[in-house]
Order: sequence, then structure tokens, then C-alpha cells
Amino acid sequence: MSSNNDMTLNLKIWRQPNGAAEGKLVDYRAEHVSPDMSFLEMIDVLNDQLVKKGEDPIAFDHDCREGICGMCSMMINGKAHGGYKNTTTCQVHMRLYKDGDTIIIEPFRAKAFPLVKDLVVDRKGIDKVMMAGGFITANTGNAQDGNAILIPKPVADEAMDAAACIGCGACVASCPNGSGMLFMGAKISQLALLPQGQPESPRRSLNMVHTHDVNGFGNCTNHAECEATCPKGISIEHIARMNREYLKAAFTYYEKSRSEGGA
Amino acid sequence: MMAAAVNHYFGSSIGRKQMVAVTGLLLCGFLVGHLAGNFLLLVGSDAFNLYAHKLFSLGPLLYVIEAGLLGIFLLHLGLAIKLNIENIKARGGAKRYVVKKNTGRGSTFMSDTMPWTGLILLVFVILHLKNLKFGTYYTTIVDGVEMRDIYKTTMENFQDLSTVVLYVIAMSAAALHTAHGFASSFQSMGWNHGKYFKNVKRIGYLYAVAVGGGFSTLAIYCFLKGV
Amino acid sequence: MTINLDSKVPAGPIEGKWDKHKFEMKVINPSNKRKYTVIVVGTGLAGGSAAASLAELGYNVLSFCIQDSPRRAHSIAAQGGINGAKNYPNDGDSVKRLFYDTIKGGDYRSREANVYRLAQVSNNIIDQMVSQGVPFAREYGGYLDNRSFGGSQVSRTFYARGQTGQQLLLGAYSGMMKMVSKGKITMFNRREMMDLVIVNGKARGIIVKNLITGELERYAADAVILATGGYGNVFFLSTNAKHSNASASWRCYKKGAAFANPCFTQIHPTCIPVHGDYQSKLTLMSESLRNDGRVWVSKKKNDNRKPEEIPEEERDYYLERIYPSFGNLAPRDVSSRQAKFRCDDGHGVGPTKQAVYLDFRDAIQRDGREVIAGKYGNLFEMYERIVGDNPYKTPMMIYPAVHYTMGGLWVDYNLQSTIPGLHVLGEANFSDHGANRLGASALMQGLADGYFVIPYTIGNYLASTPLEKVTVEDNAFKDAEQAVRLQTDKILKVKGKRTADEFHKALGHFMWDYVGMSRNEPGLKKAIDGIRKLREEFWTDINVPGDTTNMNLELHKAQRVADFLELGELMALDALERKESCGGHFREEYQTEDNEAKRDDEQYAHAAVWEFTGTNSSPIRHKEELVYENLKLATRSYK
Repeated sequence: MSSNNDMTLNLKIWRQPNGAAEGKLVDYRAEHVSPDMSFLEMIDVLNDQLVKKGEDPIAFDHDCREGICGMCSMMINGKAHGGYKNTTTCQVHMRLYKDGDTIIIEPFRAKAFPLVKDLVVDRKGIDKVMMAGGFITANTGNAQDGNAILIPKPVADEAMDAAACIGCGACVASCPNGSGMLFMGAKISQLALLPQGQPESPRRSLNMVHTHDVNGFGNCTNHAECEATCPKGISIEHIARMNREYLKAAFTYYEKSRSEGGA
Repeated sequence: MMAAAVNHYFGSSIGRKQMVAVTGLLLCGFLVGHLAGNFLLLVGSDAFNLYAHKLFSLGPLLYVIEAGLLGIFLLHLGLAIKLNIENIKARGGAKRYVVKKNTGRGSTFMSDTMPWTGLILLVFVILHLKNLKFGTYYTTIVDGVEMRDIYKTTMENFQDLSTVVLYVIAMSAAALHTAHGFASSFQSMGWNHGKYFKNVKRIGYLYAVAVGGGFSTLAIYCFLKGV
Repeated sequence: MTINLDSKVPAGPIEGKWDKHKFEMKVINPSNKRKYTVIVVGTGLAGGSAAASLAELGYNVLSFCIQDSPRRAHSIAAQGGINGAKNYPNDGDSVKRLFYDTIKGGDYRSREANVYRLAQVSNNIIDQMVSQGVPFAREYGGYLDNRSFGGSQVSRTFYARGQTGQQLLLGAYSGMMKMVSKGKITMFNRREMMDLVIVNGKARGIIVKNLITGELERYAADAVILATGGYGNVFFLSTNAKHSNASASWRCYKKGAAFANPCFTQIHPTCIPVHGDYQSKLTLMSESLRNDGRVWVSKKKNDNRKPEEIPEEERDYYLERIYPSFGNLAPRDVSSRQAKFRCDDGHGVGPTKQAVYLDFRDAIQRDGREVIAGKYGNLFEMYERIVGDNPYKTPMMIYPAVHYTMGGLWVDYNLQSTIPGLHVLGEANFSDHGANRLGASALMQGLADGYFVIPYTIGNYLASTPLEKVTVEDNAFKDAEQAVRLQTDKILKVKGKRTADEFHKALGHFMWDYVGMSRNEPGLKKAIDGIRKLREEFWTDINVPGDTTNMNLELHKAQRVADFLELGELMALDALERKESCGGHFREEYQTEDNEAKRDDEQYAHAAVWEFTGTNSSPIRHKEELVYENLKLATRSYK
């Protein structure tokens, strides 16, 4: 329904052809913006106009557009995903803005997230941290019956709170230190809470933290800005649990080197 | 990678911030002792000087304690500076965003200004030592014993209004620094539990007000009392 | 070329087929597995679990995904849950019952042996995912919790809040990450498959586009696994992710892989209604909402009153009225169609009149707001963010939307397509859901294929097939790359006036209006003509700025739309040729007196399998007859 509530907005959007090139904010005018539009739909409409003019449309990451894939990643007016509670960029709707507003849109920035193009950044660092231990080594076919492992509801719920992370990187983008402790803490905490995660828990926290540190993520200084912008509302309690796990592991865990040969 | 990870505790992000936390909490403890001692200023010159004399007469032990305190302070300072430099790099340099705003639900004025309040405290500590510990050396006799009249040094120091103002500013910085630092240290050590953490934060704020307010009050008291 | 539609279903009683087959298949010894390389395209539940499992076995896996990380595949968006025949609630579930429900739910248009195997391994999936740390919902005693889904009278759905797909995908992804770190999976992010490379009649590699640099890349392997999902985005508006597309499947089809039942699409009954031309996608509200929500419209036509102003006796709770035994939990195809009938009759609600109410008033009165918030809080929040209404106070408005495609590349019992070496898993194949998929079964199928079927069958293929040495410098690779390059240049040269989205939306209108929830002969013919014309216009009027030397998002889009424009026609053709109604395929000419689907088992108890014969010639329709040895073909009733 197009209605007479339509708005005109002044957009300032970061344009940068690639990581090596210089970038700058470019002014655009978005007209006939319906309050029912999503933020990304507003940019779709703008891009359609750019394509028609033969210009390069604004590159931005997006996929599911229902707040779960973690692909969308914009700093809207200086806040990751716009800074609304429990909301990803794709779930921001234009009814949150007023006619005539100026909106500044920049990419997620951190040393660990090198820029690819315009608003698109490379978040491979998140996968690298996960590779270092964000899993339970349970090869296919090893599993016992699901009910053989009893997990009290509050523990399962707490683990689920942590597991809700969508890996979008808003925590890193909003952290004044470009730290990745929230997404890493969420994974370490989830697996530390669950009995299935116990066997390799110390190894996991040591390896993940080390990998986090060498991949350009910063140090946590407990601002909790990550918690505030996390679209899944993940608490920094999970960072604390990670800190605890890490401390314990660093002082108690080691592996002797042994020969595993045999007849 | 395994062995490296273990050895890296003291070089890792979490290991180092835990050391900042531990040293920070120890310094918080020192401030409480320092403040308690300072309240003897209210009792009178003899009480204060006797207390100081007792500390001085610890002899070599005092040097050990002072060296330890200095070590804790330098470790806290050094690690914090190093972490901050790394963080500036990690955020992608100084010109990270054209516009960056806090959500208002996370970062606070206190957390944002930690490096600055920390630096103010560093400058303050240097001046504080120069003016008092290494300040004018008067002597007095209490109960027939000759001792340093640190009471006089202290009172003189606070006769200048600008000194008092600077002192109050420094103590406000201390309050801001500990208001974030206290609870933050608990978080760093992993002592954040849903059941208790709100109270840890409250205690942190209370501590900040008590320490900042306590020291400032004493400085103003000295100024008003006169020599 | 003749295609071979031997389903390779093993002989013997259905309960023992899979065990027998597992024993009879060849195995490769562990030290030889590392000599084989397998390409897996797609990292959703099917592709992710396959890549991880094959790497664990020792194969070298090359994994490709379109997003910046394998963790973002669209399986992540599944909300409600995953079925397993555990019978934990003691309500009479069994492998056989899950098998029966799935066959019946699919309106007797799926292959018995495949579905039975799916039901058999469903329990292993639950166990496997628990062991990987998926935080399924638990009871206070620590045991796993279950809920109910449409089309079933037992509680067999395991769930992790409203994010089951996400949790399962992260489980599969974590398994993949483990194998990436061990060097057994090489991960290629932001790559899109552009073509399949066939050498000596066998699938031996792929051509992919690097979505960042725009360059074409060639990869060779001993077998190719396609797990690229469904083609629901042919409708433009669907619940699929924006990058979900049919190109990988479609290009395999054009290389000789037969396409089965393209017209079988699922329209999900509970989605947020369309609200404007600019709309880019539709959002699903989990089917689990129908456990407590009541679906209704006003008995009066063109009723403009607010829902609160419509008294109880003037409300038509039509699902409860028509299907008293299943009520609001009638299967998806049935519920969707009934919503459409209500709106077509003028009972639609909301500003567009293309919606029905899903009301929680009674549930809130019965259980209290707390309980309802505990179950559906995140969904209610999501609804409020998108629509701006508070579902605790006023009923939700919902309308059906394209959600899943049961059709896909034809595969045999081993999940191999008609091209030797090309295996197809998950939504991309046609195998298990017949003409309609039951809720919470897609996750089950994707993981069954990837964890428990392909690891066995691919070994059998590799062990029993002579595989010549192939490199990416072979002519087959060069030719395939050249063909992609030519098509790309052709699109870039047009420099017309319309954008890829405009063509896509125009295609979507044809598909939704004529190949959507209900279909008829004149409509389908109109769609075929219209799509053909639109396709011609596309090649003379598409406008893609830029070139192939960088991240050209508009080019990626246009290339996908070019394939959708061909696939859309095949879907309409398939719908036209299937002169019966079954499951999600509802032909208005073939219905019972009370508007239910009327199957024709005499003529159409088969899978329609289409063979590509050239861009300008009609495809050939083959049949795979569906033989029901264990279940009797019966009229599907949920009354």
C-alpha cells in the first residue's frame, strides 16, 4: 500500500570500490519511502534507480532478510544494525524514521573485518575462530541416544541463549576495541554449559582465544556495547564464563606428547 | 598451537586483562587502607604522625611493600597501555567511523574514559609522591620520640586552593575509574553470575563514591582548617 | 540421449532394504579414501552434513557456498523443528508411523523406499545433533521435549526455541569447521556454481564464479554433490533467502540431469501478508503457532470492522469447521488453499483483503500471557517489528506464501541423478516429500541425506566406477568455462532499460497468479506464453551495469533470473501435464464436491521426470512409476 505517509530521506552512504581504494560518503535522496518498508528494501529501491541510470548499485550483504542468517551488516547513524534492541539491519523498518531525516550508513569496521566493497566486509575471522574449537568432536555415527544425556532445562535454556549467536559481527563493529569476545564467548559458554562439550572444553577455550588474538580482534575492556547491539541479546555473562574457562584451562590443562603407535 | 596457547596466557588478551583486573583490585584495596589512615588527620597531628611513624619504622619490610605496590601499579599501567594501543589498532585505526554513537545500553562515560582517567591518576600519583612523600621534611616530637611531621607537610600542601581543586579533580577521576573498573574486574575474572552481578556493580559504585568522596573531603578539610 | 530412470531400490521387505543395501554396497578402505576428491556445492543442512561426514571418512572435500560463511545457508531460517520417530512421549509413534504420515502427507506421490529410509534414520539424526551440542528444548528432568506439527497426530517434533534450523545448521557447520581446520575440507566462500563439467559421461567438476572478483574458476573432482536448495524464488516473493536460486540445479538439468515434478511447490499457510510493490521477501511465522492460534475470518463478506469488533458468532473458524479432527493443524497445502478460498470469496481481512486472522485471544485467556510469550515470544516480536501490530492485543494477519519446493533433480535410491557422479541432496532433489511436505520434515531430510545416506552411497559409486585422471586444463573444463563466459557477455551487452528485479517480479506475477495455490488449464497456458515472451524481452531489454572485473551484484542477479525464466516455464508445463490434483498441486478442474484435491492414481501415480532437449525444443516428459507395496493408495483426509 503506498500511502500519503511516504517519506523523503537524505542518505549518506559509504562508497568504496574495493579494499585498496579510497572511500567516501556519498549523498543520495530516497523518495517515496513507505513506513512499512524494511531498511534494506529502501536501499533496494535506491539501487534500482541507480541501475536504471547505469550506475553501480550500492553493494551490501544480505540474505535471509528475517534476522537469522547474520549476513546483513550496516552501521546506521553510528550504531551497528541501527542500535535497536534485538534487531538486525534487515528487521529495521522505516517507520522508525521521520520524513526529512538524514541517515548515515557505513560498513562494519574493524581490523579483523577488511572491507570488500561499499558496505560489504570480510568476516572470515569469525570462521577462523570457530575452526579453532567452536565444535564438539562427535563424528557422524558416534552418537548415543539423545535422552541418555540429561540436561536440566535451565542449563539447556542458558546454552540456547548463547547458541543464538548469528555470527553477524555487530559485537566486533560496535566494540570500541574491535574485540570478538562476545561471539567467541557465546560459543565457548554454550559448549562449556553442555555435558557433551566438557571433554574438550579446556582445549577449546585455549585454542579459540589464541586464534582470536592473532586474527586482529581487540581486547575486551568490558564496555558491554556488544551486548547492547547484539541482535540476539547475548549477555556478557557468557564472556565471563569464557574468562573463567580460560583461566582454569591456562593453569591446569596440558597435553604430554606421546607416541600413539601400536601393533 | 597447543603448547603455545598455554604459554600465551600472559601474552593473551584474556590473560593480560585478568592481570589488569587483579592488579586493579589490589590497588582498590590499597586505596581503602590509605583512606582509613588518612582519616587520622581528623583526629589530630599526633595521631596522624604516630601512624605514619609506625609505617616508617617497618624498615626493610616497608621497602618490600612499597616495591610490591610499585610493581602492581606499573603492571596495571603497562598492561593497560599495551592493551589500549592494541585496541586502537584492532578497531582499524583512529578514523574508524565517520559517525559512531553508543547505544546507551552498553558503554558508559566511565568505560569510555578509562584510559584518560587512568592517565590523570598517573600524573596525580607522581605529583602526590613528590609533594607529600618526597615533600618538605619537618620533624616533631611525639611522646618523646622524634619523628617526621608529615601532618605539617600535608596541611601545608592543601593550603593552596588550586592544589585542592586539582586534588578533587584527580579524586573524581579515581571515582570514575573505579566505578567502571571495580565491577569490570569481576567480569574479567569470570565472576559474573546473573544472581550476584547487579550487586557487584552496586558495590563498585558505592566504592567509587566512598573513595573519591573520602579523599576529596579530607583535602577540603585540610584547606578549611588551615595551618 | 536416453535417460535411465532405474530407481535402484533394493529388493526385499521395506524394513530391511536399507540394511541390505548398506551391506551390499562396496566400501573403500580408509587409506584409499584420501585419494578421492569430492565437490560439495552448498553448505546448508544437506551440504554441510555431507561435507563434514565425508571429510571425517577421509575424503578430500571441496566445499562451496554463496554467502561469506557456510553458517549462513538458508536452512538457518527454519523455525519450528525437526521430526524424529523416537516415541519419547509414549503416544504411539514409530518408524512406520512417520513413514506413513510422510507418504500420506505427500499425497502418495513419493517413493516408498526412500521415505522409509528417511523415517529409519530420523532417530540417528536427533542423537547425532544432541551429541554435537545442539541445545534442544528440555524438560526440567533433563529429557528432550517434543511438540506437534501439522499433518500428524503424535508429538514427534524436536525443537530449539523458534530457531531449530539455525541450531541444526550451526551443528553441521561446526562439524565442517572442525574438518576445515584438519585440512580435509577446503572451503570456498562467496562462490556461485555456474556449470557442471562432464567428462566421459561422468560429473567431474564445476565452473564457479568468484562473487568478489568476478573471475571464473574451475575445480575438478571424482564426484560432485549438489546441495543447493530449492527453487521457490522463481516466484520472486517467497520465504527463501534472497540469494537462494535455482541456477546450479538448472544448469545441471541442461547438462542432462533429469528434473522431477517441478510443479510440486509448497505454499506455507502462515506468513506475513504482502504489503507493497517494493517488498523483497516474505516472512514465515512458524507453523507451531497453529498449536495455539485459531484461524478465522468474518462470516460477512467485505467486512471492514476491526477484528475486536466482530462478535464471536460472526466469526468463521473455518479450519476447525471443515477439519474437526485436525482443526488448525491441518497440513500446509490444505490450510493454504482454504485461506485462498476465503479471500477469493471476499472474506479476506486487513487493508489488502489478502489475509486471514491467526488469533491468540483464547490461548492467552486459557494459559495466560506468560505461557504464550514463553512459547512464541520471539515470533510475536518479529511480527510486531515487521507489521507494527501487537499480536498479544490484536490477531495476527497471515497469508500463504511460497516456502518449499518438493520437486527437484531426479535421484535414485543412492541419491544419484541421471548423470553418473552427480549426487543431489536435500531440497534440491525430489525424493522424499511427494506432492506436499509435512512440517519439520525438511530439516530431517537434509540431514538424513548428508549424514546417513551419501557417506555410504558415494563410496559405492567411487569404488565401482572407473575414474580417469582429469585436470582443470582438460577441454571439457575450458569449454564449460567458455560457455559461461559467452552467456555472461551476452547479458552484459544488452544494456536495455529494465532491471533484473523488474523481470523477476514480472515472472513472479505469472507464477503466483497461474502456477500458485490453484491452477487451471487456460491459466497455465497463459503463463507459458507469458513467460516465453518475458524471456525474449529479457534478452533484449535487460540492463546490467558494470563488467565482470569486480563484485557485480546486479550481474549475479540477472544470471539467476535468466535461469528462473526458463525454469518457470517448465513448472507451468509440468502443472499443465499433470491432469489431477495432489498435495500442493491443485488443478481446479480436478476437485471433489467440497473443494478437496482429487487424485488420479490410474493415470498419475508417477513422478514426472523431464529431460532437457535443447533451448528451443520442448523437453521430454518421462515417468517413474510409483509402486506402493506397503501402503495402500487412499484418499487423503484430515476431517
